[in-house]
Amino acid sequence: MNAPITTPAIFARPTLAKRVESAVFTLLRLSTYLVLFCAAFIFWDIGTKGGAVIFQKTAPFINVPFLTEAPETLNVFEVDGHKQTMGDRAFRQYKVQHADELKGAHIETYVYSAGGIFPNIVGTLLLVAGSMVIALVLGVLSAIYLSEYAMDGPFIRFLRLSIINLAGVPSIVFGLFGFGLFVIALDFGVSLLAGWLTMAFMVLPIIITAAEEALKAVPKGYREGSLALGATKFQTIMTNVLPYALPGILTSSVLSIARVAGETAPIMFTAAFVVRDELPWQVQKWTDFFFQGVMALPYHIYVVATKIPQNEYTRDVQYGTAFVFLFTVAAIAMTAVVLRARLRKKYKW
Amino acid sequence: MLMPLPRMPAATQTPAAPRLTTQEALLRKRTGWFFGMTGDQFVKYVFQGNAAISIVVLALITFTIFRVAVGFLPQNHANLVIYRLAGLEFVDIFRDQVTTHSTISRYLASAREQQLARLTKKEGLSPAAALAQLAVFDDFANRFSDTISDEETILGTMTDLATSVKERQKVGEDLAEGKTKLLAAKRTATPERAAELQKQADEIQIETIDFKAEIQPLLAMRPQILEANAKLLTAMNALAADVPKFPDPAFTRKLEKFQGFVQAYAGEIKTAEAKMAAWDQTKPVGWLEAFNAFAFGRKWITASFWQDWYGVIPLLTGSLLIAFLALLIAIPLGVAAAVYVNQVARPTEQKFIKPYIEFISAIPSVVLGFFGIAMLGETLRRVSQSPGLDWVPGFPIAERLNATTAACLLALMAIPTIFSLAEDAINNVPRSFREASLALGANRLQTMIHITVPAALSGIMAAVLLGFGRVVGETMVVLLCAGNRIEIPDFSKGAGVIFQPVHTMTGIIAQEMGEVVRDSIHYRALFMIGVLLFLISLLINWLAQKIVRRYRISIG
Repeated sequence: MNAPITTPAIFARPTLAKRVESAVFTLLRLSTYLVLFCAAFIFWDIGTKGGAVIFQKTAPFINVPFLTEAPETLNVFEVDGHKQTMGDRAFRQYKVQHADELKGAHIETYVYSAGGIFPNIVGTLLLVAGSMVIALVLGVLSAIYLSEYAMDGPFIRFLRLSIINLAGVPSIVFGLFGFGLFVIALDFGVSLLAGWLTMAFMVLPIIITAAEEALKAVPKGYREGSLALGATKFQTIMTNVLPYALPGILTSSVLSIARVAGETAPIMFTAAFVVRDELPWQVQKWTDFFFQGVMALPYHIYVVATKIPQNEYTRDVQYGTAFVFLFTVAAIAMTAVVLRARLRKKYKW
Repeated sequence: MLMPLPRMPAATQTPAAPRLTTQEALLRKRTGWFFGMTGDQFVKYVFQGNAAISIVVLALITFTIFRVAVGFLPQNHANLVIYRLAGLEFVDIFRDQVTTHSTISRYLASAREQQLARLTKKEGLSPAAALAQLAVFDDFANRFSDTISDEETILGTMTDLATSVKERQKVGEDLAEGKTKLLAAKRTATPERAAELQKQADEIQIETIDFKAEIQPLLAMRPQILEANAKLLTAMNALAADVPKFPDPAFTRKLEKFQGFVQAYAGEIKTAEAKMAAWDQTKPVGWLEAFNAFAFGRKWITASFWQDWYGVIPLLTGSLLIAFLALLIAIPLGVAAAVYVNQVARPTEQKFIKPYIEFISAIPSVVLGFFGIAMLGETLRRVSQSPGLDWVPGFPIAERLNATTAACLLALMAIPTIFSLAEDAINNVPRSFREASLALGANRLQTMIHITVPAALSGIMAAVLLGFGRVVGETMVVLLCAGNRIEIPDFSKGAGVIFQPVHTMTGIIAQEMGEVVRDSIHYRALFMIGVLLFLISLLINWLAQKIVRRYRISIG
């Protein structure tokens, strides 16, 4: 007698192998999402605590002084039984007007905890812009050579080996190198130029690799067509290869901008000052512009995180700076990721 | 339709240029306008020159940091020579012996503390009652630590003697340097000024120190030391034989261990005495010794009044401990995520997770470090203080910033590296491998474990290596979160070692580079660490490439 085929017979109890499989897959999924969760938590923590410093409920909704003023020392003191906090400049005026009340009052000071981070933002922007210009020029030219001219040989093999090894060198070693060569041996001093060169060399391997990939993605037919019409190799590259590779090169480079902006170790001894009163454009003559140190966001975070005590007064500047920095870099990186995804969809040769 | 051609200018209006035949025109070598190169050749060389920048930069890095670092050896050699000549080495033999005694005293103190905690918490005694119980023990411990007092006095005298010799030597060195500077300035100065400088230089009296004679008082203290040691031994043996008795077996075991320490210490005194007797001031310091003091030195002490040591071992162990911990977290998570995304996840999930993890790599390290200081360190410590977790070794955590805090954050930095490279490797396994396995009836998990992952293993290993490189070379997180205590982690504490604060190679460069005097021995020691880091990164790269090449499966 034939047993009727029932649903349980088809969807029988899962075998042991099946159950192990689904258990392992769940485990894998959990560990993947754990990573994502940890990262999200960091963004959330700095986003909420830093966001409270940057944004406010009343118009203009953004804490403008924090973004447009220089860091100052914060003075905390007690007058008439209630605590007051004041930046250094305001406090000096106050001291003149209320000298009597302040007599005998206990004044606590916290460096860098008042004012804003404007010079740091400017400094970081300058550092990133300069080093990216240098790195892009050198990197794209190198990549053109590697993708269009290079024939396999000892020179090319050595070159590729150098690039790979350069990519692995720790950033602090780049810092030492920049300090030893640019700051000391070439006597640039702690300066924008030294920082630019150090960071440019640091991202060079990334840019070369990215640019070469973009150049290689341009179909061979484009080049052959141009060459067949009598153009020289250089003309071919300029008219038929570079224009098509450029979007790819640029989007890949955006990610290295994030890397440059996020690095602290290489600029610690080559370009960054803890504090500097003048803004970068306030220089005697224009050549001084290149030989001045600047304040930078990442270095400022390091300073405020380690050199000043952790308490309610200093927390704002710490989280505020971290917020501005993290979300600037994250925005750059996000642009890169999104652009790249769109580009991959758009150019399918 | 053809357009009418524009009228050509009449050929007769200009004198006819000599016309080449077509063939000639094509074959003529177009020697160019620039150093005999054609435009295209020139352009090519421009590109090539640019590409060579990478080689040049690598060479420059090597040259720059090696050039500074090489000067470390002679300076450290001189440093060690003075250490021996001025008798500091001799004093340190005795100092080690005294230090061991205080280590034993500390052991007693910690045993007492644990016992006190046990008595008050577990047995519910009031603090006063517990202290009363331990009074006998306290008396005993005090008597034990008093036994060393003679030695300590002697050590103090010896330290003063040796320091004064070294101090005078240092002054002489500084004066000599000043004299050389004056004489150097004389060469370019006007005659009158030169005479004055010469006079100043002549006035500088540099004392030449007869080290042999100077350390005689030190050596003369040997009999005194022997006498004190003999006294110490009798006193200690008497104490060890008369250890107070306690009902608690665990505590008794600790005291038995203490007796063992005392016996071992007697042996140590004998070796120290033998060493002091055999110590020879005139023994030359080898160059290898100067190098070994760096490569195998167990102390990193700078700017000390006694003797500076530049040993990399505490920093290296710190770096490796943190890297090991970070990889312990990052490898399972990174590889699991790679396998999951490539083999299990649905396409929509893939599209979201891959950019996300790539995006994590863009989080600046200094922000992660700040997060560690402001949030993670404190949270971990709070968790460790909860009573339910007492069984975990090392809990409760003493320091907010320690190796584990740094390692957790570094793991997050290493995961994107490991993930993307491992995912690439898994992706490169040919489809046919998987399909064959599935066709034979294996399920997806079996295929993954037996086919896909083994086939991609070389790539995964390379990914892990590069992740290691990333972790060892990372600076800001360890500088901010590792606790920065320059000591070899105490591995005798078992697994609790991972909650100790450590210092790292990258961290020390970042921390001390800003403060050192240029070209001083300390400055060069930091560059030596830079060289070491550089070599480690080259080694890792080389290994990673070798693994990928050697174990690449032939894809046919």
